[in-house]
Amino acid sequence: MTLSSSFLLSVTTFIYLAAAVLYLTTWVFRVQKLGVLATAVTITGFLVQTVGMGLRWTESYQLGYGHVPLSNLYESLVFFSWVTILVYLVIEWRVRNRVIGAFSTPFATFAMAYASFSPDVHDEIQPLIPALQSNWLIAHVITCFLGYASFAVACGLGIMYLIKSKGGEEASSGLLGVLPSKRVMDSLMHQTIVFGFLWLSIGIITGAIWANEAWGTYWSWDPKETWSLITWFVYAIALHARFIKGWTGRKIAILAIIGFISVIFTYFGVNFLLSGLHSYGSTK
Amino acid sequence: METNTSRKGNPLWNTLASIKLAVFLFITLAVTSIIGTLIPQGEADQFYLERYGQDLFKIISTLRLNDTYHAWWFVSLLLLFSLNLVVCTINRFPVTLRIFKRDSLSCGPDYLSRLQLKKEWVLKDKEADLDPILNSFKNAAGIPKERDTGDRRLYLVEKGKWSYWGVYGLHSSIIIIFIGALVGLFWGFKGYVELFEGETTDHVINRSTFEDIPLGFDVRCDKFAVDFYDNGAPKRYVSDLTILENGKEVLHKSIMVNSPLTYKGVTFYQASYNSIPEVNLHIIASNGRQGSLTVPAMERVAWPEGRLSVGIIQYLPSIHGEPAAQVWAASPNGEADTVWLLKGHERELSLGGNTYKISLVDAKNRYMTGLQVKKDPGVWIVWLGCTALILGFIVVFWVAHSRIWLWIGQKNGKMTVLLAGQANKNQLAFEKDFTKIREAVERAIGDKA
Repeated sequence: MTLSSSFLLSVTTFIYLAAAVLYLTTWVFRVQKLGVLATAVTITGFLVQTVGMGLRWTESYQLGYGHVPLSNLYESLVFFSWVTILVYLVIEWRVRNRVIGAFSTPFATFAMAYASFSPDVHDEIQPLIPALQSNWLIAHVITCFLGYASFAVACGLGIMYLIKSKGGEEASSGLLGVLPSKRVMDSLMHQTIVFGFLWLSIGIITGAIWANEAWGTYWSWDPKETWSLITWFVYAIALHARFIKGWTGRKIAILAIIGFISVIFTYFGVNFLLSGLHSYGSTK
Repeated sequence: METNTSRKGNPLWNTLASIKLAVFLFITLAVTSIIGTLIPQGEADQFYLERYGQDLFKIISTLRLNDTYHAWWFVSLLLLFSLNLVVCTINRFPVTLRIFKRDSLSCGPDYLSRLQLKKEWVLKDKEADLDPILNSFKNAAGIPKERDTGDRRLYLVEKGKWSYWGVYGLHSSIIIIFIGALVGLFWGFKGYVELFEGETTDHVINRSTFEDIPLGFDVRCDKFAVDFYDNGAPKRYVSDLTILENGKEVLHKSIMVNSPLTYKGVTFYQASYNSIPEVNLHIIASNGRQGSLTVPAMERVAWPEGRLSVGIIQYLPSIHGEPAAQVWAASPNGEADTVWLLKGHERELSLGGNTYKISLVDAKNRYMTGLQVKKDPGVWIVWLGCTALILGFIVVFWVAHSRIWLWIGQKNGKMTVLLAGQANKNQLAFEKDFTKIREAVERAIGDKA
């Protein structure tokens, strides 16, 4: 085979890196033409990655294992970056502001770089062990990562918001001036958190249904489950504080960042530091 | 949030109804949940003593941090959380009911013209035909409710008023899930059983108390098999199970991980397996007796005719391609010896005045399937709660209550048409709808204004 999925996915890493650099340059030097290029590069990366994931799927059939590429840490990282880019592109298209790209595409780049270069992450196509042979695997992983990706974008927006609010009086001009208005960022943060919370909830529920079918227990307080619940609590606080107490802006931005740290811990920390039912999600 | 005036004086009630308590509980539950992920759960006391030392062990055992999520204080937090939810709900109910019952047709032009989305037309002709205007409004906005007070008329198209109840669906879903969990806890069980191929059982063992749980029927394992991929990873664990009622076969199913068998509310899950080597021995004793013995590992098998009992100490599946076993043998007077046997090589052993010629005829692995067995009558309540959670969430965040009014009447002595609209969420989408309706009405008014 001349064109392999691992080649395409490696290339994707560099395309996303280029996109992140272009978005940052567009923001810092305010060259609008570069922004158009950044979007074009991101879309190209997204398409290359989509083909790469599709190829990996067909390759798994050629190996005789045949499964959707959502089964181990490598494949989940690839999918995470894919959804993050998708969520970002939708926001760029709706808000028509490219600065958000400078704070969203790096998440996708990091995920792809980690997947491609870390010695902890193995990119071979592995057969599915019995516990993973379920259609709930697909539903569970897709819904969880839709949540994670939305929270990544919300975190990016939170960082932007804090940078902008630090700027104080000068925030209407210069570097900070190109950032979307605080009101727009606040509203986007809220929307991405709401969207992510819905998918995280569905992700936890599909996981529970699956666990019930595989082991007969829908909730067993294993570390990954517990951490997903902790993450759920953090965002529940953000939603309640906004709804009832009218929290906006800085406070929500900080919660968006804390929430994403909790997501990262749910995603990696549990796999590498704690043991439990989800250990097949790690490398060992 | 507003509180019901009649209960305003009760501080306990107000605390239980407060969002502050809710946020406090969110944080406390999140932080205490972390403890249980850092300290390994459900290990023996010895483990904690060795790992954490005497002092920390005292804290761990007092606060039951070895089983955090079932500790009295954690369960209390969950109960308080439920109570908080219920009280919040009761407290807010009258407020929601008031909003829900609010008469949107009692609005006057003053109120409507203060809304953000509005458009006013003053008609040139007091006696103008209003029907085309009204019809275009109906076509664009939908069938309105109306209130006619002679010289002034108010039309209202209202959508999604029921969405105020979404938050109750969302919050009660958490309580429903808890109820489902409790039903499972009180009327269900979690057990396990290990069955050799060919073995039948009428009971399983409780996973936490290790007591027997009678099933009320029999379950038999006909066969267990495990397949591997080329790389050595397990591919499939399959147990062929048969359910028997009074000795009669009533149900047969091959179960795998992710594909359990349910009978009379009891579900059998493929959870683990074990293989126990079993060695066939042929023994000729000097007293003239000879016999064939099947000896499973870790069992002592008696051979009374030969005045001998034997057991397997070690088993090696392949020495130069043949199975080998270290056999222990004892005579009734307590004299014992061990001997290594390789298939095809006879060995001699003297015990209690007898000499024995022992040979290993055959050896194989006997499979034993490990099944998790569960009965949970509450699981459907939990799934109901989960569905309510998701639907409630969608209603709370995406179903808007929108109102579009068309007021026609005399204002400052002039015939006036006033269009106004309001929605409590999804402003952007609502503004688009409103614009369409405004344009439709405008076309109908044409040069009358």
